[in-house]
Amino acid sequence: MKVTRRDLLVWSAGAAAGLMVTPVPWKLLDDISIWSQNWGWIPQPSHGPVDVKQSFCTLCPRGCGIKVRMAGGWPVGIAGSATHPVNRGALCPLAFGAHQLNWDPKRLRAVRHHGNPASWEDARAAFAKCCNEGPVVIVDGHPGRAASVVLEKFAVNRGGQYRVVDSTETDALRPYEKWSGVPASELGYDLENAQTIVSFGTPLLDGWGIPGQFTRLWAEQAAGQNDPQLRLIQVESELSRTAARAWQWVPIHAGAESALASGIARVLLEEKLVAARGPVPLMTLAEVAIQTGLSPDAIRDLTRSIMAQRPVVAVANDADPAIAALNVLLGAVGAPGGIVRRSKSSTLQVVADSVIPNARAVLLDSTVPWDFVPKTDAEVFRFAAWDAGLSKADWLLPAPGFLEDLTDIPSAPSLPVDTYAVAPNLVRAPHPVQNAAQFLASVNSSLPTVEQIIHARCDNLFRSRAGRLSGLQPTPVTSFASCQKLEEELRNGGVWMAEPLTESFRCELKQWPDPFVSSRPEGWSTSWTSGVLPPLASKLYQESNLRDARERRNA
Amino acid sequence: MRRGSLVFALGVAVALFAGWVALPRALYVQRQQPVEFHHKLHAEKSGVAECRDCHALRDDGTFAGIPAMEKCSGCHSERIGESKAEATLVDAYIKTGHETPWLVYARQPANVWFSHAIHVRRAGLKCTECHGNYGESDQLKVYELNRISGYSRDIWGHSLTRLHRSPGDGMKMSDCEDCHRKHKVEVGCLGCHK
Repeated sequence: MKVTRRDLLVWSAGAAAGLMVTPVPWKLLDDISIWSQNWGWIPQPSHGPVDVKQSFCTLCPRGCGIKVRMAGGWPVGIAGSATHPVNRGALCPLAFGAHQLNWDPKRLRAVRHHGNPASWEDARAAFAKCCNEGPVVIVDGHPGRAASVVLEKFAVNRGGQYRVVDSTETDALRPYEKWSGVPASELGYDLENAQTIVSFGTPLLDGWGIPGQFTRLWAEQAAGQNDPQLRLIQVESELSRTAARAWQWVPIHAGAESALASGIARVLLEEKLVAARGPVPLMTLAEVAIQTGLSPDAIRDLTRSIMAQRPVVAVANDADPAIAALNVLLGAVGAPGGIVRRSKSSTLQVVADSVIPNARAVLLDSTVPWDFVPKTDAEVFRFAAWDAGLSKADWLLPAPGFLEDLTDIPSAPSLPVDTYAVAPNLVRAPHPVQNAAQFLASVNSSLPTVEQIIHARCDNLFRSRAGRLSGLQPTPVTSFASCQKLEEELRNGGVWMAEPLTESFRCELKQWPDPFVSSRPEGWSTSWTSGVLPPLASKLYQESNLRDARERRNA
Repeated sequence: MRRGSLVFALGVAVALFAGWVALPRALYVQRQQPVEFHHKLHAEKSGVAECRDCHALRDDGTFAGIPAMEKCSGCHSERIGESKAEATLVDAYIKTGHETPWLVYARQPANVWFSHAIHVRRAGLKCTECHGNYGESDQLKVYELNRISGYSRDIWGHSLTRLHRSPGDGMKMSDCEDCHRKHKVEVGCLGCHK
């Protein structure tokens, strides 16, 4: 019997009809859809016991407490730690996806010299040669850590310089350091006891300070109330989210914050609304009115409104000396509800300038923001976990990524009390990495290790018998039988908190500061400048428009 | 006309054979567990009465799954029998300190989040309602690996049509939805897919 083309077509039609009454189409559709989820290049969490570890976010100096969900020894999820005394479970969108950063395509996986592959030995030899030939400048982005001690010791031993890059909060506290001699790293804001906060463009409710800290305070004391216990007055040129939720929004011309602070100070002195006397601003109220766009009467009304409920503190977004001087005049410096001193342990630090002359080598720690590009003739060694491009460093040295490095967490810049925590290395880097402290120790073997410094710091805390450990159960340090127990608790997510310092400090202001041009609002939502963003953060932060990304704002 | 009907019927017959007989055989490949295990024997000899005595919830509510080697080595640090499974367990795993690579019948894709604590403690479900009556089995059933999806046949269930299934046969999303509907518990997409 001859098989014709027509037979084949009829047979195929029969087979197709038959298949419809079998599970084949439906079953294969299901299986293929699952198969497509499991292609080799799609990252999958390891199979294994699921565990939750307490740690701290190390992406910025604020050091929020986090819970890390580990599957098979690898982090697969991050949430805020509700037992952390400061962020109390809140996190910024970046921290929620921080574990994804380690797998970013821009992860720096090998030493690079002028863009070409090199070895750690090459980098070490080049750095040692530079150190022998001239002074070295070491720049630290998160000062106060155990690793910072190693960096500073190396620079001092070599006759070089140790410089720091400020967080926005520390930067705003620099004028008080200048006038009082107290290091800015020892100062903080006692917002819990303030009754009126005048924010000069600071994104208090959408990106300033520790995530959740001020938002909670505002929710408890101000949200939804016509006459709130805590008055937030937002001075800002645009109706930002903070401005929209504030008790009062004062729209002024962009960049006129400094002028308005001077105007308020002039009214305070003219109308004798403050007990203290101080230098009178040179700027007249009429000049302030022209610069800010507010009428002189509006400035007077604003000043009276500010003084109606005290204590009052002004919060600046940068090192604006006029706003700091206003705080001095308001009596908010060294007083409850204002700028307070939280510790007496740190030393004055020199802020890094972008121009670094007369150096043979500049070493940038991985904590230095990616957009800090020094202008120098020196050979630049830059530690980084991610290569986001545009770096002019001669050497790019792969640093440990998120949760890959043991580090300690000193007090967050805006806190009114001293804290200390230890973030353990929960995972191992998938390729050879070194942090700057390890690298320097390999050049100078007499330097202490981070591990040793953390141990010594825990020992000091134990011997001081002061403060308490916050965790599931707050425990006074005096309850710990040994230093080992205290250190163990700290390494398991405990946070040491000091008692508030009772000692006050004073600022001497001889003349009203010169006008200052304010910069754009900065906070945790805009301060991540590594050039990489985890996919989860993109989803939460950019697409949901929680806060305008820098590039969108500048577009 | 008659010839055409015959050819059509032949096509239908081939498709039916392929769909109902050949596919199930070709789709799944049988894999043996690394060690033979008797649930019933362990329940009787060690006095284990409840599933959770071995498949426990941790203090924080997460599910420990199959017990770790540490639990087995409590009794099997040395051979306590002459069987081949006993020799394999002790020599290949307990003495070397390697975890037994059990093939997990109920393993779900990584995008599925499931809390045993909520279902067992809060909802009061019995283990058998999802997993079937493993506790009374004399031997481990053969693990059938789906060649395409890479998961166990137990996820889809043994019947390819998913009709007339016994309790605990199948763990597809639709099974979760059916049970939630039955118990009037609403869970959105993010309840299971975080």
